[in-house]
Amino acid sequence: MKRNDVILIIVILVLTFGFVIASGYRQSRRAVDHAMAVVTVDGEEYGRYPLDEDRTERIELDNGAYNVLTIAGGEASVSEASCRDQICVHHFHIHYAGDTIVCLPNKVVVEIVGGEADDVDAATH
Amino acid sequence: MNKTKVTSVVIIVLLIVLILLAQSGRLFGNGRESEPEMQHYTATFLDIFDTRTEIVGFATSEEEFRKQADVVKERLVYYNNLYDIYNDYEGVNNIKTINDNAGIAPVEVDEEIINLLKFSKEMYDLTDGRVNIAMGSVLSIWHEHREYGSENPERATLPELSELEAANAHTNIDDLIIDEEAHTVYLADPEMSLDVGSTGKGYACQRVMDYCREQGMDHLLLSLGGNISGIGTRYDGSSFRVAIQNPDLDSEEEYIEKVDLEDGQCVVSSGDYQRYYVVDGKVYCHIINPDTLFPADTFAAVSIITKDSGKADALSTALYNMSLEEGMEFVNAQPDVEAMWVFHDGKKVYSDHFEESTVK
Repeated sequence: MKRNDVILIIVILVLTFGFVIASGYRQSRRAVDHAMAVVTVDGEEYGRYPLDEDRTERIELDNGAYNVLTIAGGEASVSEASCRDQICVHHFHIHYAGDTIVCLPNKVVVEIVGGEADDVDAATH
Repeated sequence: MNKTKVTSVVIIVLLIVLILLAQSGRLFGNGRESEPEMQHYTATFLDIFDTRTEIVGFATSEEEFRKQADVVKERLVYYNNLYDIYNDYEGVNNIKTINDNAGIAPVEVDEEIINLLKFSKEMYDLTDGRVNIAMGSVLSIWHEHREYGSENPERATLPELSELEAANAHTNIDDLIIDEEAHTVYLADPEMSLDVGSTGKGYACQRVMDYCREQGMDHLLLSLGGNISGIGTRYDGSSFRVAIQNPDLDSEEEYIEKVDLEDGQCVVSSGDYQRYYVVDGKVYCHIINPDTLFPADTFAAVSIITKDSGKADALSTALYNMSLEEGMEFVNAQPDVEAMWVFHDGKKVYSDHFEESTVK
């Protein structure tokens, strides 16, 4: 009887341990999903910046054009740009996964990758 | 070793195996473990139709999704080249070729150009001339002033009305002569030119999505510069949700409305908040009213929901050029067309059934 008790306890321990490891693994996979602002220029990745660190990044293009990416309070925006239409500068600040700010003249895209998702698939403009 | 002990050890081992199997989903999960999870992907392109293209889809890997997106992109590039009025492409007779040959000779063109032009004529009839692709001569004058005014805001100018009126004498859609047998298009008035800005993108969007549907694609959403069209639903069966941008760009609210799309539904907005220029502090948008030959300014934006993206595109332009009363009567007389008007003070007006699509 006593030995069976020990076996039972070991079994329960093993199972609990296994369960904890399994669910912990799942959670850690989710935690890696950290929100980043990914900047691409003409389809090529220029840089990626975490949304939880305030910063200002001047994106310089070969032709002298530029966009200034500002990350503040967990949101990304383009605060200044050399383009003539200024649509990127007037664009609202973004922070949901999949949100983008596009500067067509400079072919610059700021996209949020990872983090909290919105319930929206696309937007008219 | 007594028998009870052996039996209990065996039972415990079996239990462990059973629990592990159950947890990994192999026992009750109908083989879900072997079927990789569907992920949500978005591809963005900036080099088609001088606008931003977004493709939203579902696939088990990025590579898988790329294949879908590449099919869509290839079709879009094909339409882009055909419907271009500014650029030539080697070996392609496009709308620019037709314009270049106005009053000179009929041009042999791809069937999809003929289809777009026929569709555009239908839209002309449907909207009583408020969507007129033969208005190129007038629109190009505005285009030049807008380009110059955007580059040199201090020296931005408006066209002279007399100049616009002179150009407007060459906008008769009956001078657009389509010969379906010979596959040719001819502009009988040498001063005339086509501008398919009010129908081309929407029509291309619809044709590409029709093609994707024929290819068996599902759970796909395409946004061609805000002409949004969906096939099916998201992978989990819920509707694709589309946000309608707030035309007031200074507002804290990014979106003025959200709508859920049924299979095949399309949405598009026309407004004065993206393509415009400013003269003496006043905003002049890119949508020109054929009656006044000046930009319409009654609304900040008009959005359309309907089952055909080309029609959505054309009607949003038409409604932008109508009064609210006229537009309301027009929309409510059309089956399957719904509209939302947004005024400059943020006031929204809906057609009879628009709110059936909005997210409460």
